[in-house]
Amino acid sequence: MFTKILIANRGEIALRILRACRTLGVGAVVAYSEADRESLAAQLADEAICIGPADARRSYLSASAIVSAAVVTGCDAIHPGYGFLSEDEGFADVVRAHGLTFVGPPAEVLERFASKEATRRLLAAQGLPTIPGSGMLRDEAHALEEAERIGYPVLIKPSAGGGGKGMRLVRTPLELESSFKVSRSEAMAGFGDDSLYLEKFLDDSRHVEVQVAVDSFGNAIHMGERDCSVQRRHQKLLEETPSPSLTDAARQDICERAVKAVAAAGYENLGTLEFLVDGKGDAYFIEINCRVQVEHPITELCTGIDMVALQIKIAAGEPLGMTQADVISRGHAIEFRILAEDPAKDFRPQAGQVGAYLAPGGPGVRMDSHLYPGYDIPTYYDSLLGKLCVWAPDRDQAIARGDAALRELLVDGVITNIELHRAILANQVFIDGKVTTGLLDRVGSAPFVAAGNR
Amino acid sequence: MPGSSKGANTGQADQEKVLRSRQDREAIARLADDLLPALIAKLAASGLGEIEVREGDWKARLRKPATADAGRRSATRLAEAHAGHGHSAARAAGYGRAEERDVRSRPEDETVEESDRIVARSPAVGIYHPRDLAVGMRVRSGDRIGSVDVLGVQQDVVSPIDGVIGSSLAEAGEAVEYGQELVRIELPERPAGETVAVVREPAILAGKA
Repeated sequence: MFTKILIANRGEIALRILRACRTLGVGAVVAYSEADRESLAAQLADEAICIGPADARRSYLSASAIVSAAVVTGCDAIHPGYGFLSEDEGFADVVRAHGLTFVGPPAEVLERFASKEATRRLLAAQGLPTIPGSGMLRDEAHALEEAERIGYPVLIKPSAGGGGKGMRLVRTPLELESSFKVSRSEAMAGFGDDSLYLEKFLDDSRHVEVQVAVDSFGNAIHMGERDCSVQRRHQKLLEETPSPSLTDAARQDICERAVKAVAAAGYENLGTLEFLVDGKGDAYFIEINCRVQVEHPITELCTGIDMVALQIKIAAGEPLGMTQADVISRGHAIEFRILAEDPAKDFRPQAGQVGAYLAPGGPGVRMDSHLYPGYDIPTYYDSLLGKLCVWAPDRDQAIARGDAALRELLVDGVITNIELHRAILANQVFIDGKVTTGLLDRVGSAPFVAAGNR
Repeated sequence: MPGSSKGANTGQADQEKVLRSRQDREAIARLADDLLPALIAKLAASGLGEIEVREGDWKARLRKPATADAGRRSATRLAEAHAGHGHSAARAAGYGRAEERDVRSRPEDETVEESDRIVARSPAVGIYHPRDLAVGMRVRSGDRIGSVDVLGVQQDVVSPIDGVIGSSLAEAGEAVEYGQELVRIELPERPAGETVAVVREPAILAGKA
């Protein structure tokens, strides 16, 4: 096991990793930017080090600043969290070149799965069904040609990306022409790589993802799936497990095929395979996330596995220590992403100082958040304030606990989407388990909130 | 202090002293809370390099910073002395006490003396290598006074203003973090008897006239 891990991230995930380190008895150093000097993780850590200015390119995205911080503080591993450099094979390589361990897949594994387009081909060869799509696009003319072949509507997707950045839905050649350049520059700005590909867009599909873990000995398990269909502009808002859209047989099938395929393809460490599930219940593999996911706590609530600790153990070269038979998923869990966004004003990110803050409690309630009263929310980063997760023996009770917890949650001083979450829980389509990824964008959030207030 | 304070009526003298020091405190508080933010805004909006304002016994002089140092935003935060590499247990226990921090950074508090300085800061996280410069040596804004080794790449530590080298705040070979205070830079000329409170960006000089 490692002696000391540098946590190269911020917000709630920095705190989450710090907690895992403490549980494992491993030292931790929180690396923070100047804008995060007062962050909870930096303050709770036994050791914290400022790595650069607020601008992420010179702090959380600066490989040299992060590795230098790890070297001078005597760390032997770096945990990248999610986002930032978490799936950057170049970074993983630099980390290793300095004699440190990257907590995640080894650099060559990240490299093998770096291109989404290549990954689809790789895993299709291992038996995963994939959505019709293009190869890497050379230029606009090539894109138009490929879109014609696949059939509109299509999604323009950055090969290096994630989190919906640079992604565009286009329904006509005209839309494709106008969006192509924007996607390319967004991809360049967001990921430093402007390669794009096309994918057939499935209307009214659901987003289901399978959580896997593979150790360095090739032992592999899956930890069930999560349904992330409640989205706004391709950003996940609420996640639940198990997915209400899958039958037990379909769930078992997709999870087993996923873990078999990635293990055969030589994957290592925590990973998430994302699928789109169409109206007929058919699942198509779209991409793999080579890191811990924002929504990992709901899997932890149902399986009892500390996934961040598991991730660290695998990176340290330890075996999984469990087989598929040991992974038992119980009950139902829901995560609400609490965002500093104003649903009434087109989800504009909000800045400000947190006044009163009260995290909810009670049976099956978990709050992962870096908020505290008096905390100044920096404007430089994403608007995630925390994740409220609830667990209950079944979905109905989980919804009830979710609503009770949302009512209790108090975040003063900044506008949040707490009421929108309550409105979603009260919506019949959600209660019926029939939300598709486009629903919120199509309906708009206002009717949800209006209906929820009644 | 008026001559009448000596003699039999010490009670009155004490009272006067208390009154006087309260007036001083109030004046400082007014400077910090009302006048300075307004002046900073005015200076930032103007094309001027320096503004001086007098009020009663007090004057405040503001200067624009010698070097643009992005990332350092508010004067209040800056007044809070940065403890250097790592962080103290006191700070670890201090989260959620924004008010306390605000109070601490007011000029009437003693800790402000700690921040009454201009310092050359570390440009990066790494190992510090100072140049061999004698205390009292003159430096110009932008002069290299040391370097920080970031994985074998040297990054310059520069003086933020024209001044003279003051005391060292970090050792050679020490691990330093981004923004860490490394070398104190004294102002070359300071009118005798003037107490100087300096908060960078803009540099603020406030003293009793």
